[in-house]
Amino acid sequence: MTTLLAYLDPGSGSMILQILAGGVAAVAVTAKLYWNRVLRFLRIRKDEPEATKAEPAAGE
Amino acid sequence: MPRAVTPPADASTEPAGLEPGSFRDPESRVFYEGDEVYRALSPDGLSDFEALGGTGLLEDERVVRTELVADGAAGVRAAREGLLVHEPAGVLRHERIPFVSYPYEWTFSMLKDAALVQLDLLLASLEHDLVLKDSTPYNVQFKGARPVFVDVGSFERIRDGEPWVGYRQFCMLYLYPLLLQAVKDVPFHPWLRGSIDGITPSQMRNLLSFRDRFHRGVFTNVFLHARLEARYADRPDQVKREVKQVFKKELFVANVRKMRKLVERLSWEPPQGVWTAYGERNSYTDDDARRKDEFVRRVATAQPWDLVWDIGANNGRYSRIAAEGAKTVVAVDADQGPVELLYRDLKQEGNEQILTLTMNLADPSPGLGWRGLERKALPDRGKPDLVLALALVHHVAIGANVPVKEFIDWLASLGSALVIEFPTREDPMVKKLLAPKRDGLHPDYELGYFERALGEAFEVERSERLESGTRVLYFARPKRG
Repeated sequence: MTTLLAYLDPGSGSMILQILAGGVAAVAVTAKLYWNRVLRFLRIRKDEPEATKAEPAAGE
Repeated sequence: MPRAVTPPADASTEPAGLEPGSFRDPESRVFYEGDEVYRALSPDGLSDFEALGGTGLLEDERVVRTELVADGAAGVRAAREGLLVHEPAGVLRHERIPFVSYPYEWTFSMLKDAALVQLDLLLASLEHDLVLKDSTPYNVQFKGARPVFVDVGSFERIRDGEPWVGYRQFCMLYLYPLLLQAVKDVPFHPWLRGSIDGITPSQMRNLLSFRDRFHRGVFTNVFLHARLEARYADRPDQVKREVKQVFKKELFVANVRKMRKLVERLSWEPPQGVWTAYGERNSYTDDDARRKDEFVRRVATAQPWDLVWDIGANNGRYSRIAAEGAKTVVAVDADQGPVELLYRDLKQEGNEQILTLTMNLADPSPGLGWRGLERKALPDRGKPDLVLALALVHHVAIGANVPVKEFIDWLASLGSALVIEFPTREDPMVKKLLAPKRDGLHPDYELGYFERALGEAFEVERSERLESGTRVLYFARPKRG
């Protein structure tokens, strides 16, 4: 996202939250479509030492 | 980002009438020439504006009236030099908003309505592959009871894989303040006035109890948000890269829709006592109230007033009378309850003339932000030509301990005509305010002293003692020279 030139800092956690929480409720079809991508995304994150859990609802 | 749309009272400290609150977004900058409001655009800003032109959103009544200024208009060309880092590529002219106000002066429903305008315009933009680059209530102003989005520079073309960049800002300046009042019944005003960027996710989390997380939207937008923010704070580059790979516009739209539903459902009601008092606003039958109405009406309709401040407006009874003869009325009261109910009524009526604000006149909004100039103090946003101060002086003098003479001198400093009511020491309300105080306090709160002080600063044209004998009305004009 080096081309993303927002003057405002979107916040790293805020961006992640939009993926975890955004598609689930609103549109079921998009939720399904993107949930797979979220899972794929989270697998990438498994390589990291502080991998995030695949269950966002249990995040707290 | 935020922009005021009225020229500062004293623009001499800024080059070419530059708006001191309009610097955050490097793509555009607001400036003033005479009575006109302009915005200089960078080449990118101009391209974004051209994209916006094709969407019909510029004709939307929720967006401030805006036109592209023909290139080469002499005064405008001179003014725009040096405004932006790069040579400006274009200049816009905006409609002027009669009186600028800020979210820490709005009632709950005003902030909520501003939030809904923000979200609805974002959703409408997304349909045309545009976004709003930020989410700040300072981009919304009120024409009477109608919110208007004033930052046309906020519209830009969406980029691939771009999430809702303004989501965090929306939370900090809209959602959390609304939640604070809706869930905790704590007014958001002191917080927004104290922090120009609003409430952070971790601050908001710490304000809420365990039980609060079951309130709709709170778990995700506050608790999870604060948690993720802490977890990813030191990895912005990596997160940006990964988000871009998976993010799609559909998800963006879903997020905004969800937020809209959440905001739509938030509610706050003033205490029951406020409702009762408000409901009685038109039931005055006694002679005093009728004569007071007539006194105010006679002044209000005697000449075409441009801007009237009704300070201590309460339920807006006299703001409405003033509006019979004035272009714009600003109705201010320290108590949010009646102002909230007044706003709801005015909104229902489609009123675009009376602006409701909640503010303590003994502690009015100061200049805030960078250099103390980003947000203007109340008198720096355009002085009134008539002030109504009805049933107010005893609250300021006794309730807030402001010396009577200082209050009158402050009114005189506004340079406007004045309708003021003085309730004598025998008035039941004054007695109530004096009751908890030591005997002999407020010796300056006395009719003779008040009249002398008023006479020193103003020419009193007319006065009338109401039937009950405990209230006196004055119409006065400022002394010249």
